[in-house]
Amino acid sequence: MAALKELQRDLENKANDVNKLQKDIAKNHQVRKKYTIQLGENELVLKELDLLNDDANVYKLIGPVLVKQDLAEANANVRKRIEYISAELKRLDATLQDLEEKQNSKKEAIYKLQQRMQSLQAGKGKA
Amino acid sequence: METKKGTVTSLSSMFPADEAQKASRRVQDTIDERQHQLDQLKAFIDDNISLINLVHKLPHETHHNIMVPFGKAAFFPGRLIHTNEFMVLLGDGYYAERTSKQTAEILKRRGTALETQVESLKAIMQDLKAEASFFEITAQESAEGLVEIREDYVEEGSSEALATGRKKFDSILEVDDRKAAVEDDEYTRIFSRISELEKEEEEAEKANESDEDEQTQNELVRSANQISIDQEIKSSQVETSEVPAVSKEKYRPQRYGSSTGNHPAPNSNMMNKAFEVPEEEKRDQTPLTASNTAFTGSIVEHAHDIGKNLTEQQSGARTSKPVSRFKMQRK
Repeated sequence: MAALKELQRDLENKANDVNKLQKDIAKNHQVRKKYTIQLGENELVLKELDLLNDDANVYKLIGPVLVKQDLAEANANVRKRIEYISAELKRLDATLQDLEEKQNSKKEAIYKLQQRMQSLQAGKGKA
Repeated sequence: METKKGTVTSLSSMFPADEAQKASRRVQDTIDERQHQLDQLKAFIDDNISLINLVHKLPHETHHNIMVPFGKAAFFPGRLIHTNEFMVLLGDGYYAERTSKQTAEILKRRGTALETQVESLKAIMQDLKAEASFFEITAQESAEGLVEIREDYVEEGSSEALATGRKKFDSILEVDDRKAAVEDDEYTRIFSRISELEKEEEEAEKANESDEDEQTQNELVRSANQISIDQEIKSSQVETSEVPAVSKEKYRPQRYGSSTGNHPAPNSNMMNKAFEVPEEEKRDQTPLTASNTAFTGSIVEHAHDIGKNLTEQQSGARTSKPVSRFKMQRK
């Protein structure tokens, strides 16, 4: 009986872990979505900047003011930003994979626990 | 062996109707979501188009009298000057000073980007719709109590081989395969030949009493073809020399049977045999080809008879004028 209770507690803990992991994964998805959108936007900006003449005036909105920027500088900034976002996306992918692996292993553990509980209960029923 | 052929599972046990319905509903929800996105994109496109029109129109005047928004609810009258200078938001806080024409170009590019997004979204929605309909059909079928019947496919030859014993299994299978391949090849060749000959026969029948010369020519061509076919078969037999003797015998009746069909034998008795045999053999042999069962001796006997005749007749075909098949029949 005590063993069964312990198993049940174990199971609950594991279920909580899985829930947490699922939340993490959902969060990861959201962040990734945001970054993907930003990446698309930045790529668009880069394309437009490439199309601009060299003497065109480019401004950057910082807070409430528009700050004049050199075109080359703006270009470099956007490129850097794209690089950063790509790196971030890669990192997110890695963490996502990690999380999913963890989740799978946890799920397997839960499954095993459930089986053990069932066999225990069946044994008790026979006895 | 015939005890268990397959399994019958009801579809509802694998995919309960309500579960399938749930899945279909979920897919439907995603479709709705996408539809919402699509509507939004379409609204963007419309906005973009009207904006392009406005940007085109603005520089037509040097200034416009407008109501300038002030705060949330207030406006005051003002004048819009510098009508050919635009500050265009490129995205991510970057602005560029552009003329009306350049702005319109930027906006057009943005429009095409939106169009591509719409296209991809539409494709995704189509996929989702297919998925949803699949789920719905599954739900319907399982509600109707459809069953799935699963039967393992056992090849005749391989089952025979199984019966003969595990040790020989692999080698026999191998031989079987090879044999089947060779025989298939032969079958197709023979059938195509037969149909070809039948066509020739029909044509010849139309031109019933016509020139003998042509017929002799035909015959010559035929015999030439026959020789080449024989050679081919021989070579294929050499390839499959590992095939057991029984199966080798099997080739012969087919070959000679069908070939005698092409070459009318000098005596009509022989002729009939030759005509009948191939038909029977074809029917009999098709199911047997893949199996390892021993062949009945009767056809093997035919083979020898016909074989002898064939050699005579082939040599005859080249020297003397052969009698065509339909002529034989008319006699």
